[in-house]
Amino acid sequence: MTHVNAVTLTIVIILFLLVTVIGFAAARWRRAEDLLHLNEWGLGGRRFGSFVTWFLLGGDLYTAYTFIAVPALVFASGAIGFFALSYTVMVFPIVFVFAPRLWSVAKVHNYVTPADFVRGRYGSRGLSLAVAVTGILATMPYIALQLVGIEAVLTVMGLGGSSSNEFVKDLPLLIAFVILAAYTFVSGLRAPALIAFVKDTLIYVMVIVAIAYIPARLGGWSHIFAAAGAHLAKVNPVTGKPFGSLIATPASEWAYATLALGSALALFMYPHAVTGVYAARRRGVIRRNMAVLPAYSLVLGLIALLGYMALASPGVVAGVVAGGKNAQLSVPLLFQQMFPSWFAGIAFSAVVIGALVPAAIMSIAAANLFTRNIWVDFIKPGASQAEQTRVSQTVSLIVKAGALVFVFVLPKTFSINFQLLGGIWILQTFPAIVIGLYTRWFHRWALILGWAAAMAYGTIRAYQVPVAGQPNSHFGGSTAPVFGHTAVYIALSALILNLLVAAVFTLVFRALRAPDGADETAPAHYTADPAPAPAPAVAAVAAAGDPEARG
Amino acid sequence: MSPPDSAKGPATWTAVTILLLAAIAASLWVPIYARTTPKLGAFPFFYWYQLILVPAVAIVSWIAYLLLRPRPGGQPPGDGSGQARAGEEARR
Repeated sequence: MTHVNAVTLTIVIILFLLVTVIGFAAARWRRAEDLLHLNEWGLGGRRFGSFVTWFLLGGDLYTAYTFIAVPALVFASGAIGFFALSYTVMVFPIVFVFAPRLWSVAKVHNYVTPADFVRGRYGSRGLSLAVAVTGILATMPYIALQLVGIEAVLTVMGLGGSSSNEFVKDLPLLIAFVILAAYTFVSGLRAPALIAFVKDTLIYVMVIVAIAYIPARLGGWSHIFAAAGAHLAKVNPVTGKPFGSLIATPASEWAYATLALGSALALFMYPHAVTGVYAARRRGVIRRNMAVLPAYSLVLGLIALLGYMALASPGVVAGVVAGGKNAQLSVPLLFQQMFPSWFAGIAFSAVVIGALVPAAIMSIAAANLFTRNIWVDFIKPGASQAEQTRVSQTVSLIVKAGALVFVFVLPKTFSINFQLLGGIWILQTFPAIVIGLYTRWFHRWALILGWAAAMAYGTIRAYQVPVAGQPNSHFGGSTAPVFGHTAVYIALSALILNLLVAAVFTLVFRALRAPDGADETAPAHYTADPAPAPAPAVAAVAAAGDPEARG
Repeated sequence: MSPPDSAKGPATWTAVTILLLAAIAASLWVPIYARTTPKLGAFPFFYWYQLILVPAVAIVSWIAYLLLRPRPGGQPPGDGSGQARAGEEARR
């Protein structure tokens, strides 16, 4: 594992340089006259058609961390890890329903972030701030985990993991992220959109080859399932229970279903997913994409199966144990041991580049949230579009630096726990955003109270979950029993609490005649394609730098 | 210009709702597929069912998209885009 393969390394470096050139060149792609408009830097001019959107959303949602962590979970626990496939099957029919409405209203009012919509709909800076802060908090650890994904690959490549010098160890990761930060700063959303073509091509090639080639080397699928099943049935000495099972057990069915549903509902609450939706050119682009994005889900399902291939390969199991029982090394180790070194280079590049695309989009989305919903709303009202773009560019750098600090300074489990919490938190913006797309029945203050209650409940509940076999430990998983019975995904039980609190207080505030905020949206705005009559006026004023025009 | 969505009749909306709910239920209802048999080749049911569900749900979503798409005859394809372009230019 400490030995660096020159062929593998060369291929990774060449492909990394290629995407670096593309990242900087992207600034000239479909160039706008004025790059210093947040619509341009932050949303690529809102001009992406079906084809680009497919690559952008695919590159955005199926992150390198997913490609490392999902098979790692399957490797460690078996069937439960497949909830990720179930989740990505469910997510598109769900998003199909509400994303076109979100796109339309955002297009009409020039919203850049999900919190922009909430502010316009409820006339509440406070609720918008809650949504923005949640989005930033949930995105930060997600970016950090992209680095963890790169780190797993670099460790297996023999770069860093074994070096005793902390600085040398972290250097490759540092260089990769500095370059990423530079071209994101220059090109904005155009950079990840263009690099996504390379990323997804590499991922598809990697998966097709892996599925066609590795099973034959391991003695066929029958052997893989048999060996994996035998491994999972072994009793874990720490917990006294089997490691996992090949089929979801009746006891875990609720956990499986609620993890899938909760994750599916949460996915398009993440600011980077909303950014991908807003950047589309037409309303039809969104729906058409919901029908073709499952191609990536198929890839994810096949990648999850890599976890079983790793279990069936004694060399990988030994390598994971040698690497400190770090299951995240299983897929990189599998590639290293199964593929010739040149193809291992391509597969590793797929993971590394697969981390860069979402990291760029996430940092742009988090930066836009800060700029629009914190800086403009609370610090400098009336900031011009050029000023907003400058702030967003700078914040995107800070966000990435923050992610680096996360990974370098704090233990890795911190990022993973924080991301687990992020998933629980982000779902708590669902009532304000998705229900807000349909009705204003909920009172804005009640939504804030529901959000606060659910955030507190979800955080405490996740903190209380012990790691298996270690009483009094924390953040052991994302499921917890409700009323002492079946374990369900905490995000979903928190969402139900959220809705209950919001409903009760809505009735209270109505009885007290608490003022409803102004709603700047009209029913027709939710079905507009691309923009009915008021849009040119709104857009013209926005171009003049009037912040009131954007809501 | 009438918005494409509201131009659709209740029958279309019912059909779309049923299609999408069925697509979601197929993976939400874990007990129907949490089993080993029938196997497809070496694959236990749990795995091949979920993998086949991916293209099946994609087809269902595509049908839903076609049902909700504005009629080609009813509205010209470039409907509203003139206004949009004016909007985009004004913004720049």
